[in-house]
Parts: sequence; C-alpha cells; structure tokens
Amino acid sequence: MEEELEQKYKSITRSVAAIDSQSKVSGALKYITDMRIENMLFASVVRSTYAHARIISIDTREAEKISGVKAILTYKDIPGLNAYGAIVPDAPVLAYDRVRYYGEPVALVAADTEELAREAASLVKIEYDPLPVIRSIDESIASEAIALHDNGNIARHTIIKKGDTERAKREAYMTLDRIYRTPFQKHMFLEPEGGVAYIDESGIINVFAGGQSPYRDKLQIARSLNIPPEKIRTVNYPTGGAFGGKDDITVQIHLALLAYKTGKPVKLWFSREESGVAGYHRTGSEIHLITSVDKEGTLLSNEAQIYLDTGAYQSFGPTILDVSIETINGPYRIPNYIINANLVYTNNGFSSAFRGFGAPESNFAIESMINELASELHLDPIDMRLKNILMTGEEGPFGNTIRHGDGLREALMRAKNSKIWNSVIQNKKPWQRSGVGIAVAIKGVGFGTLPDYPTAAIEIATEGKVKIMFSNVDYGQGINTGNAQLVAEKMDIPLNQVEVRHADTKYSPDTGSSSASRSTFASGNALLLACSKALDRLKMEACFYFGVTSEKLEYKEGRFYYNDRSVGIYELAKSLKARGETLRFESTFEVPRYPAPVEGTLEVPHVVYMYGVLLSSAVLDELIGNIHINQAEFYADIGTVINPSIASGQIEGGIVQGLGYATTEDLKYDVNGKPINNNYTTYIVPSVRDVPDIYVEFIDSLEELGPYGAKGVGEISIIPVGASVAHAVYNASGKWIRDLPLLPWKVI
Amino acid sequence: MNYSQYVVHSPQNLNEALGILKEKASEIRLISGGTDVMVLIKDNIIKEKELLNLSFLNELRYIHEEGNTIKIGALITYKELEKSKVVNLNAPILVDASKTIGAAQIQNLGTLAGNLGNASPAGDSIPPLYVLNASVKLQSADSERVVPVSEFFLGPRKTKRAPNELITEIAIEKTKPGLYYFFKKLGLREANAISLVSVACIADLDQYKKVNSIKLALGAVAPTVMFAVKSEKLATDKQLDLNLVDEIARSVSEEISPITDIRGSAEYRRRAAYGLVYEGLYEVLMGTAKRVSGSFEGVY
Ligand SMILES: Cc1cc2nc3c(=O)[nH]c(=O)nc-3n(C[C@H](O)[C@H](O)[C@H](O)COP(=O)(O)OP(=O)(O)OC[C@H]3O[C@@H](n4cnc5c(N)ncnc54)[C@H](O)[C@@H]3O)c2cc1C
Repeated sequence: MEEELEQKYKSITRSVAAIDSQSKVSGALKYITDMRIENMLFASVVRSTYAHARIISIDTREAEKISGVKAILTYKDIPGLNAYGAIVPDAPVLAYDRVRYYGEPVALVAADTEELAREAASLVKIEYDPLPVIRSIDESIASEAIALHDNGNIARHTIIKKGDTERAKREAYMTLDRIYRTPFQKHMFLEPEGGVAYIDESGIINVFAGGQSPYRDKLQIARSLNIPPEKIRTVNYPTGGAFGGKDDITVQIHLALLAYKTGKPVKLWFSREESGVAGYHRTGSEIHLITSVDKEGTLLSNEAQIYLDTGAYQSFGPTILDVSIETINGPYRIPNYIINANLVYTNNGFSSAFRGFGAPESNFAIESMINELASELHLDPIDMRLKNILMTGEEGPFGNTIRHGDGLREALMRAKNSKIWNSVIQNKKPWQRSGVGIAVAIKGVGFGTLPDYPTAAIEIATEGKVKIMFSNVDYGQGINTGNAQLVAEKMDIPLNQVEVRHADTKYSPDTGSSSASRSTFASGNALLLACSKALDRLKMEACFYFGVTSEKLEYKEGRFYYNDRSVGIYELAKSLKARGETLRFESTFEVPRYPAPVEGTLEVPHVVYMYGVLLSSAVLDELIGNIHINQAEFYADIGTVINPSIASGQIEGGIVQGLGYATTEDLKYDVNGKPINNNYTTYIVPSVRDVPDIYVEFIDSLEELGPYGAKGVGEISIIPVGASVAHAVYNASGKWIRDLPLLPWKVI
Repeated sequence: MNYSQYVVHSPQNLNEALGILKEKASEIRLISGGTDVMVLIKDNIIKEKELLNLSFLNELRYIHEEGNTIKIGALITYKELEKSKVVNLNAPILVDASKTIGAAQIQNLGTLAGNLGNASPAGDSIPPLYVLNASVKLQSADSERVVPVSEFFLGPRKTKRAPNELITEIAIEKTKPGLYYFFKKLGLREANAISLVSVACIADLDQYKKVNSIKLALGAVAPTVMFAVKSEKLATDKQLDLNLVDEIARSVSEEISPITDIRGSAEYRRRAAYGLVYEGLYEVLMGTAKRVSGSFEGVY
C-alpha cells in the first residue's frame, strides 16, 4: 500500500524526519524555559497550603522588606476579571476569599533573583480558616457535603436517552451491572510549565510560554488584565511536551500581570514538584454501567451513570464530560440507552484536558464491559465486536451518520488474524500466567458541533521559500512537519522550500488550539485552501507573464508551463511584489459539523471519527502480582497517513502513556487533600525499559473531508490501553479488575 | 535549592580529606557520585552548608584481590563493578544488583560507599553486601576501624560512622565456585525504581540439593537491611524440595517487619517477599539459578 501511495504523492505519506529533530537532538533548539532576557525578574507563586480554606488575611509586609523584591501581587492587583478557565472561567487568577485546592495561587512575587523571589514568597503570611476537605466523588455528592461553589458540587449534570432501556433489560438474555473507576493522571511533560513575558518598544506584552492555544491564552490574558487583545502577543513554540496539560492557562496570566505591573521582563518556571502540586491532571472517573445483550451477543441497551472528578474548578470539564458521554456507547449499535453524566467538584487538585479528553475514562468502562459480556457469553470478543460495530452509512448513537465504519471492521479483522491473538503463550516459569487483551477505541476529531473556523496563511517569499503560518503548537507531536509536507505536496515543491512559522500570534492567524486530535485536520485544511488561493493568484500572474488565458497553462513542480516556456512561482512573486501586491494568502476552513449538539451536550456528536484496535499481551507473576506488558499491536484507522514514522511515534507514545495510566500511575491525595506523589520518583511513569514491542499497522483509509484524506492521530492510541490490559490480565489471572491502575496488590 | 551557596572542598588526597573532615566533622557533607546528595540538596533536606568532594581521591579508586577477599575502594562506581572481571567471577551477585540500580546514568556515577553512607533500608547494593560478608573500613585522621556491614546500620539514614570518619574501603568475601546465588528486586518499573522488596541469597547445596548453608538478606522490609536468620536456620541441613522452598519463603515473609508507605503496604510487602524468595529458591532447586564460576582462569 505504501508503495502505491508513494507513487501517488511526492511529499506526503512519507516518513521524513521531523523538521526540528536535528536542532532538538543536538541541543541547539532553545525551549521557552531556556529563555533569559537581560535584567529579567524571577517570579515565584505563593500557593495555598490548604486544600480547602477560607482566606482570613494576606499580609505581604515582611516579604516587601526583602531588598530586590520588585512586586508582590494579590487579587487586588488584578485589573480585569479575576478568573480563568477555557470553558467556564471559575478559577481565580489569584485566590481572594477561599482556596479550593492545595497549591492554589494566592500571591505572586517578582524579584531580582530566583532565590529572593522564593524567600519573599515564603514570607507572605496568609491566615486561613480551614474548611472540610472533599476528597472523593462520594463525599462531594453526599447530601451533607459543604458546597464548593455557589452552584453546589455538581458542576454539570445531563441526561441523554434513546429508546426504552427498561424494556430492553426485560427482554435481554443477560444484563451485567458493573462499576469501573479510573484514576487521575498527571501529564508529566519533561518541560514543566513556564515562560517569560516582557513589554516591547511598541507597548505590546509578549508572553512566551509552554502552551497549546496561543489565541485562547491571549483572550484570557486580555480579560484579566483588562487590556485589548491586540496589546498582547503569545508564543508557544517550542514547548517540551503538553498532552493537554498546557491547553488551558498555566503561567500566562501571572506572567503578563507581573510584566505589566513591573514594566520588566519576568520569568516564571515551575519546579517538577510545583508542577506536581499545582499543574493539572486528568479527571478521575467512576462509571456505573448496566448493559444488556441477547444470546448472540447483540447489544440491546446501555445505562451509564458517569461521574467525573474535575477537582476544584472546571477548566475543560464540561466538554470533557461530553467526550465521555460520546464514548460511553463505543462505536456500537445500541438501540436503547440512558446516559446520566455528572461533572463533580472536589478538593483533589485541578482537572483539565489530557490526551483522550474523557474518552479513556469511558472507554475503560464500555470496553471492559464488552469483554466481560463476551466472556460470560463464551463469545470471541472480536466476533462480538464485529457483530455490534456501526457500519458506513448507519445512524450513530447521537443521530449522526457513520462515515467510515469499514475502517474499524478492517482493523478488527486484522487483529483477529494477528499472530498474538492466535498463538498460545508458553509460560517460562510456573508462576507466570499470560493473556492477551483487546479493546477498541473511537474518538472524534476536533470540537464536534462547536463552531470551528481555523485560519491559516501562506506567503510566497521572493527568496524562494513558501512560508506557512498557523497557530497550532508543535510540542513534539510533529504538526509543523506534517503541515510542511501537506503544503509541499499541494504546491508541488520540495519540502525544504517550506518554512514554518507557527504558534505565534504575531505571525500566524488563529488556527485554534493543538488539541482534540484536530491540528492536521484543521490547520492542514486551512493551509490547503490558502495554497489554492495562492496558486490561483500566481496563475493569473503567469497568464499576464505569458500573455495567454489561463486554460493554456499547466502547473508542475513550482512552475507554470505554456508550451515549452515556463515561469517559477518565486519569479512571479517578485513581479507581484514589485507592484506592491500582497504575497500572503490567508484562508479559513469551515470544519464540517452537525448544526446543533444533542440536547444536554455542548459538542456531541462529531462528524469525523478515528478508530483503533489494541491487542496487548501481559505476563503476570502470580506470586508477586506484577504484570509485564511485553507486546502491543495497534491497528489504526486515521485516514491518510501524512508521515508514517511520526504517526507511529504518536501511536507508540500514546500506548506507553496509556500503560502508565493502566498499570502504575496513581496520583494520590492525603487526608488533607495534599498530593503525595508529585515527581518522577514517587509518581511512576514507565521508563524506556518498560516499553513493550509495539507493532503499528495503518488501515488503508481515506477521509474525504480531511487534507488529502487525513483524520488525526494524537489521542487514539491512549484510549483503549486500560481496557485492553485489564482484559489481558483477566485472561492471565481469571480476575476482572475494574479500577485502574492495575497495581500488583490488586492483581493477586 | 541554590547550589552556589555551598562551599565545596575538593581535597587532592586522602590525608587532606581526613584533615578537613577532622576539623569540620558534622559541619560538612561528604559527596561521592552525588546521586543521593544532589537530590537532598535540591529538596533542601541537607543542613550542612559545606561539601567534601571526594572525587579527586584517586587512591580510593581500586579493586584489589587479596586471597579470599576483594577490596573495593570507596570511589568505585556501579559501572566499574559491572566491568570488573574479579567481581564478575567471585561476587557476581554484586554485579547483578549493580545493574538494577537506577539506570545507566546513575550506575556511571553512584558508588557503593554512597549507598552505604545514604543508609536507606532500600539500598540495593546492601543485601548483596550482607550475604557477601562485607565489612566497611572507616578511617579518620587519627584512627581506622573495620565494621561488618551487618552491624554498620543503626536505622534508616543512621550508621555507626562517626562524623570525622570516611568510608574508604568495602571488603567482600569471594563466593565459592559452584554456589548458587540470586538477587531479586521488586520495583514498580524496570529502571529508576526504588525497591519495594529486595532479596539477596547465596546458597551452598550439595549435589543432592541438601542445603549446607544459606544466606538470605532482605531490603526495604525493616528499618535496616536484615538477614532472615530464622529462615536461614530453618533451611540449613535440610533437603531442598518444593515444600522446603515454600516453607522458607513463608518463614521469610513472617520474619520481616515491613511498614506501609507510599510505595506499598506492609501486607503486600510480605506477600512479595514470599514471592521473590520462592521464585529464587525454586530456580535453585531446579538448577536454573545462577552459580558462581570462580576465580580460575579459563572459566570464561
Ligand atoms: C534517579 C535515581 C535512581 C536511583 N536508583 C537507585 C536504585 O535503584 N537503588 C539504590 O539503591 N539507589 C538508587 N539511587 C540512590 C543512589 O544512586 C545510590 O544510593 C548511590 O549508591 C549513591 O552513591 P553516590 O556515590 O552517588 O553517593 P552520594 O550522593 O555522593 O552520597 C550518598 C550519601 O553517602 C555519603 N557518602 C558518600 N561517600 C561517602 C564515603 N566515602 N564515606 C562515608 N559517607 C559517604 C554522603 O554524605 C551521602 O550521605 C538512585 C538515585 C537516583 C537519583
């Protein structure tokens, strides 16, 4: 398949090295937190030492006495809205009357050195009146629970129904009733949250920070500083890992505020432990499923009660809840369902976006349920899935039309015929037990029914380059390379003529955030439109040049041909420039969506879905309980694969991050709501030696709506890991474990 | 965490180092590979404001063979142990343990002396040193003494080392050729993991698998690394079979006194200790455990 495509395309479907890889491996690339500006101040955040308390007083007098301290800011110093949050701005920029999680920012200090800033921060005296700490979903929804916000402890509640589940249950051959739980997960990016801010000669506040969404950050900063967004520039490249944890505001407003108040450049950079305490994490979940089938394994109904723990504030909580709703029926035909979904406040830190965005939580529940049902019915779990998956053209669970169910079917067939699914594993030691597990994943690309109009630009530069501009951030996933390949393909020029300028509001228009596996789809499509615009304009110029009408011209390899004469795009650019015409072409893509969300949701459903099937093979030590995942196979339907090696890297990375989530990562809060494992020593992410043999296969697939048929890839592989591994462990041990992670003491 | 506020002394020879240590004693912190000390500094746990950098004391960088003993200078790193022919042939259990410590970066810098100095009950070189009958040489400007490793520790982060003393050497006994040995460590990942439980064992069995003698030391299950004395006694002079393997493992799990901490519960640690000991001894019984090859040329 790859060979055929290679003939079809010149630049895409090829594994070119990421365009910034050399500067990364050589160390030449400076990450944002490497930035130093002359005379810059260092900032330190005064954080709450209570998970829940009323603030009685804030006394900065002692701290102000330290020489070298240039600013100490509290809520009183915020000119605009003292709140932020991507969907609902309910989190204070600086706490004023109350703190709701351990590590919540209360004051900011900027000083000449890092040490002075820290020292001064430690001298800010905050008097608290402790309040009861809500440590779990159960405690939060209990009738006697103290309300964490004016609207109570349920930030969002919605019920969505289809058909008649009561009747379906009565008529069913079998109904299983199960509760599944998933833990919080920390992003653990290698570069913790941080950045610098300064005011330039023209009075613009420049905020360089690790992030995923330069334009949304800019708006949130503007809102809190009460200045027009034009007065702010945000830059997010290069960011050393994000995974959703830098999608909402981290340091941006604090940095801008300090630069604004002091007039000086400021740097703020979390330590690992600070990131552990104050950074975001994935929502924890508790999902109760009651699912019915007939004798042959056809799904009849699904009742789901979803509780997501959003921690102290909402951030993306409402839309994370939507994705968990959308995922709870899997890619299956389920005629009757009730989804009762709840987003719950607690004092467990602060949840926000994390790769998968609510899908891994729901996927663990529904995919484990399917495996349990198949097991009870003595059905092959792949056959059971083949029977239930929605096929192309069918109506999906939310009134949507399935565009490409055939890709998932093909992925399942390949999994079914794979070696690891069909081989019997020989255990080397008597205490070893082995098993292979399966789970299927589905994930929408982009923001579903929410309006999404990504804008991107290209410039035909007379020096012989095509410059491309978009705001999505390359934080390691390779979007700048993929987009360069798309543009090289469309413009029919070599890749090295494409120059990327992205993630910087000064140069790039608003293409939206790097999230929801949308960057290739959104910015790729917008860039292709901009390329068409440029080519149209250049063609007119070529007509002018040859003195002929346009149908006489042919375009190839960066040149317009008229019989045996030709002119290149850069020469044409020069003549346009000579007349003072613009060489920049900007286009906006209308992301296809259903006109309105399913009632009770904000963004359900999506038009385009990615699919994946994960097989994992576990070896369990029966005496000790530890599991070792030694093999994983992933069959992916992600549309056209722009860059196979980068896409495989995304899938492998997602699997490994999922293995941490499934087996060892276990963020815990103590009785006072303080996180107890906040660094790599205590919060156990997998090491390179824990990585299994991973085999990735792409299904031949084409999504007509995507750029050259591409969908997206970032999130799909992390989603099914929990259920696949839990299934493997069941097949090894005979024990279903319904709460992640699968720590050794739960397994034996 | 401000590294520049530390005064670093870098003596060029042992005498100079002992002189400084005599003068400063508990005011100064020793630093070898720094893989523990740097973390402590970062976390602001160290009270001393001066550091005695031992890395220039090249006279402590040696591995000598003396009859039945191998003498290891305090600056020898895990990587150097892994590469040493003498150690591989005569005390391979220490090599196996070294390979589980941290990852390559830590093994390149970390030292046995530092592992002893740090005195964590989870120090992974320590159970092997117990079963190798190791002793620790402590030198000060005015004196020199040798303490058996099994008496060196007083509790977590507490040792018999006086503030003016330096660990200069660790001596281990060669393991007799043919003896079985194993080191097993349970961590939650394959590298850079702190042990939940670790076990070191050297077993001398006759050709009929009767236990002539056995040494079993466990890490992370008591305030210091400990010998499973009762279990060793239980095993000695008995015929090793599956029942005895189970009995010894059970006895070990009862003999230890683990605590519950962030890494795991006491109850689980007992089960895991059972499992590690069972698996190690099972392999001894089946003859699939590793055996010491001995110091004869040509064995390799
Ligand atoms: C990422 C990471 C992973 C790790 N993994 C493991 C692991 O798997 N297993 C394990 O056991 N440990 C592990 N460690 C801990 C550490 O690497 C070991 O304890 C190592 O042996 C320390 O040796 P060092 O030379 O670096 O000691 P240093 O840090 O230099 O010193 C450690 C302590 O010993 C004292 N000291 C040093 N030299 C002497 C001396 N000559 N005489 C007396 N006292 C002395 C110091 O004052 C200090 O208190 C890990 C550490 C890190 C950072």
